[in-house]
Amino acid sequence: MNNAYLDGLASIAPEIVLTVTALGALVLDLVAKGRDSVRVGYLTLAGLAATAWFLFGQWGQPSHTAYGMVAIDQFGNFFKLFSTAALAIVVLFVMHDRRERRHGIGEYYFLLLGALIGIFFMVSTGNLLLMVLGFELLSLSSYSLSGFHKGNRKSAEASMKYVIFGGLSTGIMVYGISLLYGLTGTIDLAKMAGSANLVAQVSSNPIPFGIATVLVLAGFAYKISLAPFHFWTPDVYEGAPTPVTAFLAVASKAAGFGALLRFLGALFLDQGGTPLGEYGTRVGTMLALLAAVTMTLGNLAALRQPSLKRMLAYSSIAHAGYVMIGIACMTRGGFTAAMYYLAAYYFMNLGAFGFLVYFEGVTGSDTVDSLKGMGFKAPLISMVMVAFLVSLTGLPPTVGFYGKYLLFIEGVDNGLMWLVVVAALNSVVSLFYYLRVARALFLSKASDQEAAPAPVLTGFVTVLGVATVAFGLYVTPLQAWATKSLDLIRSATGS
Amino acid sequence: MNVPSEHLLYLSAGLFALGLLGFLVRRNVIVVLMCVELMLNAANLAFLAASRQHSTAEHPALQGPVFAIFVITVAAAEAAVGLALVIALYRLKQSAETDAAAEMKG
Repeated sequence: MNNAYLDGLASIAPEIVLTVTALGALVLDLVAKGRDSVRVGYLTLAGLAATAWFLFGQWGQPSHTAYGMVAIDQFGNFFKLFSTAALAIVVLFVMHDRRERRHGIGEYYFLLLGALIGIFFMVSTGNLLLMVLGFELLSLSSYSLSGFHKGNRKSAEASMKYVIFGGLSTGIMVYGISLLYGLTGTIDLAKMAGSANLVAQVSSNPIPFGIATVLVLAGFAYKISLAPFHFWTPDVYEGAPTPVTAFLAVASKAAGFGALLRFLGALFLDQGGTPLGEYGTRVGTMLALLAAVTMTLGNLAALRQPSLKRMLAYSSIAHAGYVMIGIACMTRGGFTAAMYYLAAYYFMNLGAFGFLVYFEGVTGSDTVDSLKGMGFKAPLISMVMVAFLVSLTGLPPTVGFYGKYLLFIEGVDNGLMWLVVVAALNSVVSLFYYLRVARALFLSKASDQEAAPAPVLTGFVTVLGVATVAFGLYVTPLQAWATKSLDLIRSATGS
Repeated sequence: MNVPSEHLLYLSAGLFALGLLGFLVRRNVIVVLMCVELMLNAANLAFLAASRQHSTAEHPALQGPVFAIFVITVAAAEAAVGLALVIALYRLKQSAETDAAAEMKG
């Protein structure tokens, strides 16, 4: 008994390190009376490094469940490592954001760490209670973060919209879970999938189960900004401080996808022929329809955005639609492709936001027009940005191209030809607005604005750019990792 | 008197629908947050009703009530953050209507 408790503690060591770091950041900020926020930033980075070290320590360990709730497996590890890396980059953004104050922003790091703890629990559990709690921890931190600039009207408005729509989605999702609990008598996904009650219910009258599933999926749809739950996305992304936007667009969205994959994977994956499996195909068709709507809406709206930040918000909606192609397949191959695309999305989108942080600091504006001629004043970061744009469009030789290629192959293999055609047409549309940025950077007459150098920011944005191209040329490791991570999704939730 | 569990589920569905309706039609942010609370409490009622249905004399189904307790906590935390943000918005715009938060469009 006592021993199991200690073993459990070892299993959730990364989460414990994060919690201690978060509290440490808060205390350090209090002790320094808010005068030295940069030091809090360094403490956060150190904590993230320690977390990553513990995560690597769990590498290749057999999947097991701690405290009957927390699934320690490769699938969770995949998302945890990427989220930790993404958060480290976001922390660097905060520290090098010229528009951000240097002092009195210690809570920033505390809230970011809190959000990361939420992500960790949300992606590594098959227990719906813990999933909801992780979801809420992430959401509550995100609400406060998007309203971090209290005096800024846009920031206040963004957080207001976020909290209202977030509350709605939590309400809908929790109600859906209560129905699932009513149907099966358990809140554990693995037990739910094996519940004889549920199978009998689905074969005789699938409507109650259908309603419950749709309600739960609505909660996830909000987190990954899938239509018709995407309304909050552009406003929140525009109003929130840019590093927070990067966090929401990358880490928070990927965590939503992680939890969604686990939910669908536990209930419907590998159930071919059974009533539940057949029902999964129907859910897949519904998700495919939503994917088509989402990517079309996102791309068409992105076309007419003067603001680069808002354009990236709509582009992130469109990318959620692309990832859904893989999920709508409801096969292992499709899920792997979705995970690969999410990994690709980490690199290219974080990089694009890093560029945005730099240029907002230089020009004080986030419009595409204000970027005119900047390619000649800050050539390195602008060239890297073009690489991100090429990758976001899905052109070779970048990681975005291979990700889309995998998704399209899986879509065709699983009879979603029409969806792949829609996605390909959408990629053509997206070329227009991505290239508008590249044109403003390099093909327009330079304004007389000076571009102050920011070596550190340029440095790690360049690293992201190199990764974007390198993983596009040398695709095997990332793909192998995604495949291997998915292999264990079921065995872990089952134990 | 013994109320059948189905009736509790119907009641919770009614509460949920009321909350959703209120969320969609009301303009005051505080009322909107109250409607969210109503939806969460509808879920709590459904959890308790379902737990009652699944319980036997030897094996009480405890997951439902435990979930409900956690949802109450979550609702409280959400209300705290939500109201703080309402106050921040009110200070800037002297209004707690949803129309006050409509600067960004497109």
